[in-house]
This record gives sequence, C-alpha cells and structure tokens, in this order.
Amino acid sequence: MSPGPVAALGALLLQFPFDPVYLRSIVRVSLYVSCVAVALSTAVSVPFALLVAFTDFPGKRLLTSVVNTGMGFPSVVVGLVVLFAVSNQGPLGPLDLVFTTEAMIVSQFVLAAPPITAISLAAVSAVDDGVRDAARALGGTRLDVALVTVTEARYGIATAVLAGFGRAISEVGSVLIVGGNIVGSDGVSRTRTLTTAIQLEARQGRYETALLLGAVLVCLVLLVNAAVVRFGGGRVRR
Amino acid sequence: MILRTRGVSLAYGSESVLRDVSVGVDRGEVLAVIGPSGVGKTTLLGLLSLAVAPDRGTVELDGTDAWAAGESERLALRRRVGMVFQEASLFDASVARNVSYGLRVRRSWPERVRDGLRSLVGSPDAEAVDSAVREALDVVGLGDSLDRHAGSLSGGEARRVSFARALAYDPDVFLLDEPTSDLDPRNTAVVEDAVRRASQRGIGVVVASHDMHQAERVADRVAVMLDDGIAEVGPTERVFADPDDERTRKFVSGELVY
Repeated sequence: MSPGPVAALGALLLQFPFDPVYLRSIVRVSLYVSCVAVALSTAVSVPFALLVAFTDFPGKRLLTSVVNTGMGFPSVVVGLVVLFAVSNQGPLGPLDLVFTTEAMIVSQFVLAAPPITAISLAAVSAVDDGVRDAARALGGTRLDVALVTVTEARYGIATAVLAGFGRAISEVGSVLIVGGNIVGSDGVSRTRTLTTAIQLEARQGRYETALLLGAVLVCLVLLVNAAVVRFGGGRVRR
Repeated sequence: MILRTRGVSLAYGSESVLRDVSVGVDRGEVLAVIGPSGVGKTTLLGLLSLAVAPDRGTVELDGTDAWAAGESERLALRRRVGMVFQEASLFDASVARNVSYGLRVRRSWPERVRDGLRSLVGSPDAEAVDSAVREALDVVGLGDSLDRHAGSLSGGEARRVSFARALAYDPDVFLLDEPTSDLDPRNTAVVEDAVRRASQRGIGVVVASHDMHQAERVADRVAVMLDDGIAEVGPTERVFADPDDERTRKFVSGELVY
C-alpha cells in the first residue's frame, strides 16, 4: 500500500485543522444525542423484551416479527416520519422541536429501540427456566425473578445496548433531516454531529478532514464499547 | 402437620397428573415420596412448594389454606418453604451470592440496594457474608467455597450449593426433588447427612425419589405414588416390610415394573 494517504493523514493530525471548540461541540452533540436516545431505548426495550418473552398473548409472533423488521428500517424514512411528527402540522408540533437535539433524540430512539429489543429478547429468552424457577422457589417476587433474568442475561443485554449505540452514533440520514446539521455563528455545533460533519466534509471534497473525524468517531465507539464491557462485568464464566 | 395436601387433584389439559392426593409432613420428620419416574412426584412437590395451584383440594401450611389466602400472604407462606430442584440451576455468580439469595430477597429494598452497590464496587467482603450462609455451606461441606464462581463447581458441588441455598433462610419445610440422582456416593452421603441434620433442626423434609434404598436410609415415613395417586403412606420400615397395598408390595419387591 502506498504510504501517501497515511502520511497525509499523519500530517493532518499534526496540523489539527479544527477549532477545538467546534470539534468538542460536535463530539458533545453526538454523544449527548446517542447516549440519551440509547438510555431511553434501553429503559423501554428491556422491560418490553421481558414482557414479550414471558407472557403469552395473541399476536406475540407478529409483534416479534415487527420488532425484528424494525432493525432494518431505513433511517431516512424514520427521519422523515419524525420530521413530520415534530413539524407545525404534526402531533408534536406544539413542542417546537424542529432542528433541535431533542428531535434527533426522538429519531435515534426509534432507530435504536428495535435492535435493543430484539437482542435483549433473544438474551432473556435464553435464560434457563430452572434459574427463574429457583429464584421464585427461594422466595422471589415477580420483580425479583425479572431482576434475576436480567442479571443472567446481562452480557446479551450489554451487547444489545452496544448494538443500539452503534446504530445511533453512526446514523446520518435521520439526524440530518430532523437536526438540520446546524452550527451557530459562534462556531459551536447546535445539531451537527460527527457523522453529519463527516458527510459535509466529504461533500466539499475535504476527504482527509472527513477521515480524521471518522477516526475520532471510531475512537469514541471503541471507548464506549470498552466502558460497557468493563461495567457489564467482562466475559461470561460458566 | 406443618405442610399438607388434602384431596388435591391436578390435570394438564385432559391428562390427570394427580388425583385426590392427601399427604403431609410434620416438623422434624423426613417423608420420602417414592414411585417410578413420571408418576407425578415433581408435580406434587410443585404443589407443596405453593408454586402451582391445584385444580381441586387444598394445600395448607401450618393450618393456612395457601390458595384461599391473598397474594402477599401466600408469598409469606411460600417463603417458609425451601425447594431444591433436580437440576442445581445456580445463578451466574459466586457461591456466596447464590446461597445468600433467599436472605437478600427477604430484606428491605434500601438494604438490597446498598448490598447491590457494595457488590458492584468489588467482590463481597468475606467478613460481611451472613453467618447463615456460612452455616448452610458448612452443612453441605462447602464452607471454604464462598468466593468460588458457580461455574467452577463440579455437578455434585453445584447440587450441594443448591441445597445450601434453600437451607440458608431456615425454612419450616424443605422439599427435595431427586436430590442425589447422578451424584457419586460421596456427594450422596453428604446430601443425605444434610437431610438428617435439617430434620434434627426441626425442619419438615419431603424427599421425592425413585431410589427406594435412599428412602429406607433417610425417611421416617414413606408415601408410595403409583399412577396418579398415593397408593400407601406409612412408617418406612413397615411399608417396605409389610405393605398394606398389593400394588405397593409389588412395587417395593420389584415385581411391578414401569
């Protein structure tokens, strides 16, 4: 491989062609939007997965299929639907959310919830019935049994959260539509994220800068992965 | 009787699993429920553990009909019964966390949150482990295994931990489903000794087993289950030596093969 692009990227790193305030602000917006969206998705998806896994009701299979289909839902379509919802004519119009980080959170919530639900559902369904029976027989309430199930499935749920975070932070289409990729006159990002900044730099032909932002994004994802693995308790021991 | 069923019946769909079963255990007594595999012994233990409601009849703990009681009262009754399943089904945690589970779910939520935060910070402090956990593990000969992970235990050790897990919160009644199937003689001896020690502490013990020799070794009384009901209940020695019921005689002599 020619050392040309690598050397160019190295030189670019040394030059650091960003205003630190600008770079910090797009990293902050990216992390804020993705983390809040994933936290909300997890808070909804994991109890929902428990409910679906351990309750029998008509249409359960259909609902599971809908959740699985949601994993492949086009993000641009989600962005359009959310934009309609938050526009003046939409049901969330009075909240005045167009081109705000809150609207971006809504669209990322919609995108992150299906993978978190589907992977959590698979993880909690795989928990041995005997373990749940034991928790109940040892005096556990329904809540205790649910907590034991989540604890046993924690590595799968951590994977689900990482998959949801990966989908949210790498998302371009919907955040561009509902966020508007806005930077204030003070050079601070309002709704610009790392991905929309990369898209903008690439469109303007500044590929090295786009690559550098891409490297920052990859580093962020790696850091979040490492944190989840660390606090999730590491590997399964059986 | 501390725990008893009166005329309980249970069916899964059109298939009758238990029919008109009346059986009970006293404090400090060991009752063995013997019978061939698939006869309904596990289902009977499920009823006695108050996890399953009968279609007909009553299950009474200390004179209280569990299924006539409200949900919170039934939970309180259920917490006086210890159940050990055929499979160890340990939690993916340390031996100490497994054995302390029954104690933890009986604590208030603030105490449990504090306990949870402590375990997040690091491994549980050996000094802070409840003495009941140590005692229960001592009974099954695993007093030095507090910090081992459940996944590192042998099959026999895991079964002994599941036994200690139910013993730690000092139940009034102890139910064991095939407690020594697949265990080697050494582990079998440890479990049978633990059964005797539990009964000496005043705990009523019900052991479901297809092993008639084990019933002879540990039980004060024997209930023989054949088909979907109790064929005979009586003192162990008498049931094996001189059964009243003809089917029981054939079963204990090995003539009645299932």
